[in-house]
Amino acid sequence: MEWVIDTHGLSKSYKQVDALKKLDLRVPKNSIFGFLGPNGAGKTTTIKLLLGLIPPSAGSASIFGLDIEKDSVGIRSRIGYLPQEPRFYDHMSARQILEYTAGFFFDGPKAEVDRRVSETLDLVGLEEKADRPIKGFSGGELQRLGIAQAQVNYPDLLILDEPAASLDPMGRRDVLEVMERLRKYTTIFYCTHILDDVQRVSDTVAILNKGELVAYGPIEELLAGGEGVAYEVTMKGAVENIYQSVTAQPWVTGIQSKAHNGTTQWIVSVSDAAAAENGLFRLLAADENAIVVHYHIKEHELEEVFLRIVEGGQHGRQ
Amino acid sequence: MAANEPLAGTVQRSVGNSSMILKTGSDWRRGLDNMLRGELKSWFGTRTWLTQILIWTASINFIYLMTALSMPPEEAPGGGVTMIFNIFMGIVGPIGVSIIMQGAVVGEKNSGTAAWVMSKPVSREAFILSKLIANTLGVAVTMVLAQGAIAYLITGLVVKVWLPVPGFLAALGVHMIHIFFYLSMTLMLGAIFNHGAPVIGIPLAFHFGQQFLMSLLAQISPTLAKAVPWTLAIPGNDSADLAVAGALMNGAPVQTYLPVYVALIASLAFIIIGIRAFQRQEL
Repeated sequence: MEWVIDTHGLSKSYKQVDALKKLDLRVPKNSIFGFLGPNGAGKTTTIKLLLGLIPPSAGSASIFGLDIEKDSVGIRSRIGYLPQEPRFYDHMSARQILEYTAGFFFDGPKAEVDRRVSETLDLVGLEEKADRPIKGFSGGELQRLGIAQAQVNYPDLLILDEPAASLDPMGRRDVLEVMERLRKYTTIFYCTHILDDVQRVSDTVAILNKGELVAYGPIEELLAGGEGVAYEVTMKGAVENIYQSVTAQPWVTGIQSKAHNGTTQWIVSVSDAAAAENGLFRLLAADENAIVVHYHIKEHELEEVFLRIVEGGQHGRQ
Repeated sequence: MAANEPLAGTVQRSVGNSSMILKTGSDWRRGLDNMLRGELKSWFGTRTWLTQILIWTASINFIYLMTALSMPPEEAPGGGVTMIFNIFMGIVGPIGVSIIMQGAVVGEKNSGTAAWVMSKPVSREAFILSKLIANTLGVAVTMVLAQGAIAYLITGLVVKVWLPVPGFLAALGVHMIHIFFYLSMTLMLGAIFNHGAPVIGIPLAFHFGQQFLMSLLAQISPTLAKAVPWTLAIPGNDSADLAVAGALMNGAPVQTYLPVYVALIASLAFIIIGIRAFQRQEL
């Protein structure tokens, strides 16, 4: 597999505080890599290290095989970056910001650069406000402009720090669509707190907590890991007998039960997925006193996994 | 060179579905042209230049005009009335340039625009040099050339003395060196510090503290006392001597060019230290 970002023991300390501890991370080419963690986990520090905005205290990293300390300018010529709180020159319009950004990468022809700028403004829905000074822009508009300037140069790697943070639901949806569209041309490395978005578009995820990498891998593995398989079952009627039958099965490890609007809802955790697949529904359907109205395998949400890892202090990778 | 041939430091490559000329190279010049264009645009592509001319005209030449109108013609030349212009340029210029420059680097560091710009393919040297070059040009036009031209007209039309142009231009050059000393000092301090207070406080403290410094240096050596940048535009403690700018403007002998050399060497040192400091700066 080809790695776009490859870090080895990358660390950053400020006096007595370890902002990032020995980060070993590999980001595959053309992946959408979700970089998660609570506030102060070290996500933005990692991004700044990768961009050469701050030097590492220890360790090393490469992007496109180039060293982040020795070849920073060369690396930045192939990257697009959206900061967490985009700040641009107030006296410029959105179009001027994009022209200025494009000027760092391209030497013309002017018509081609202008076409690219217009195309990018159109992509983020800012064409109507393109020639107004950005001083009056809302947070969401600045965010859109930030996304536009990050990809005006057709980057090989897009680094996005909270790309959907200031956007309304429609804006958020648009950003995710843009990210999915760009996947075939570029690698996207992004930080976010919106875990639904990560689950929707990311293929690989890393979770950082207190400067340390605590989980890292393909999202399916992360979602499947830890708790094993569970079934969600909703029933009507008397469930006492069937409860005894189910708990008696050797592959059932536990049942969480609650009553809701005249129904009983169970989450049945199992240790043997195949045995449960064969036997559980037959067992439930065989009882004449209860009617099964809802039955499916419980899908773990990224939020649950994230909270379990971060709050539970789980260390080591999945 | 053929019209479609790429420039040095660039490469023609298909990017996306277009055919744009990619900039290449990763040395200290990378990004300088674009940053410089942006900085110059903020001076001359907006009303900044006009605002600055009006501010400095009100601060320097309005007082000069009032003095010229009230001074009897027989007292006018020979360092008389033009001394007012030189002194005001010497006092107001360093204050003005320190105010203009205080936000150039530290303001961008605090607002986050420096981090944004430095996430693009730009060298740290290019960032500092673009600020230095663009602001030097902006200040040269609005604070030195424009004010010089207005003062020249006031001297000619009101005082009825048309000073020799070469001497007048040489005096303006000395004022520029004086102002450049503070410009480069403030730029360096902006690269070193992350707060505005020392960035503007230190140049102003040095500017006004030179009068005490001159007294102190005079006890060691009278020549040393005449080497401080203050004496470029304003007569030193020995007020019998004209400052360098005043002497050049009025065709009088220049006592010493030492402050010119000191200011130029110090400015060069400030620029080098400023670049070094910004290279190590965490953004």
